[in-house]
Amino acid sequence: MKSSGIKKIIINSTDADYDTGEDSNILETNGVTYDFSETFEAELLEAIYLKGKTSSRESEFSISMNRLFYKIMLTGAAAIVILLISIFLMEGSLSFNSFLGLGNSYDESTICLLTGN
Amino acid sequence: MIKGSYSETDDLELVRAVLGGDRSAFSAIVSRYRKMVARTVKGMLNDTVYAEDVGQEVFIKLYYSLSEFRGESKLSTYIQRIAVNLTLNEIKRRKRFSSMFSQKGNDEMHELEVPDYDTESSKEAKEIVQKALQAMDPKFRIIVVMRMLQGYSTKETAEILELPLGTVLSRLSRGQEQLKDILEKL
Repeated sequence: MKSSGIKKIIINSTDADYDTGEDSNILETNGVTYDFSETFEAELLEAIYLKGKTSSRESEFSISMNRLFYKIMLTGAAAIVILLISIFLMEGSLSFNSFLGLGNSYDESTICLLTGN
Repeated sequence: MIKGSYSETDDLELVRAVLGGDRSAFSAIVSRYRKMVARTVKGMLNDTVYAEDVGQEVFIKLYYSLSEFRGESKLSTYIQRIAVNLTLNEIKRRKRFSSMFSQKGNDEMHELEVPDYDTESSKEAKEIVQKALQAMDPKFRIIVVMRMLQGYSTKETAEILELPLGTVLSRLSRGQEQLKDILEKL
């Protein structure tokens, strides 16, 4: 069947009054068929009668969690680097005092700040 | 192929046999409806490994909910509803997952396509159908799958999708516009 014929069938299916029963058979004879793999039934019956529900979803979930973990880890590392750069730019060094925000303050002013004298 | 001793048995009898513990009766149900489920699931999800998983889930859910089947609707309608719900859930799930974990968007599932075409002409026909379907919005796509691949009327489609007939009609009309644009490019 020509592609124009297939396209016509596809469009016809959106016509509310059109009877698509015959067209679905035409599509099938033109190779538009669907079926599951040969092992589908055996795997299904095994899942129901032997294993319980399949665990394929669980493995997919763990893969997703791994990806999520790496994303969080990378984001965290990037945040730390940005923080270090901003501390260096503001305080002029990466000393312990700079981390505490005390890089530019003198001992006297700290005592004054803490005691009020 | 439907299992020998059950090939002529009606659906309700099969359901009773399954509930009575007859495993081969359930196998007969699977054989009878696997292609119907495959049309819905693979029509919506394409030939992906996820489609096989969803197909399995449909029959697993059917098995565990057969005791609730009262026979008020056809067994095929009951199975079709399970297939539609699980397929739409899978699409939502993949959309959510791909937006969370990937930059590639919703097309991630297409990477796992397993084409299975026999001849050039059937390849072309199936390719056109699948490309058109995959390019559609899922809410329009499901209606086209029901109409075009399953051959249901608009009324039957509304019943299976549990939507008002008016909603199905308006989605058909909007889907038609979308399809015309898509098919022009194919």
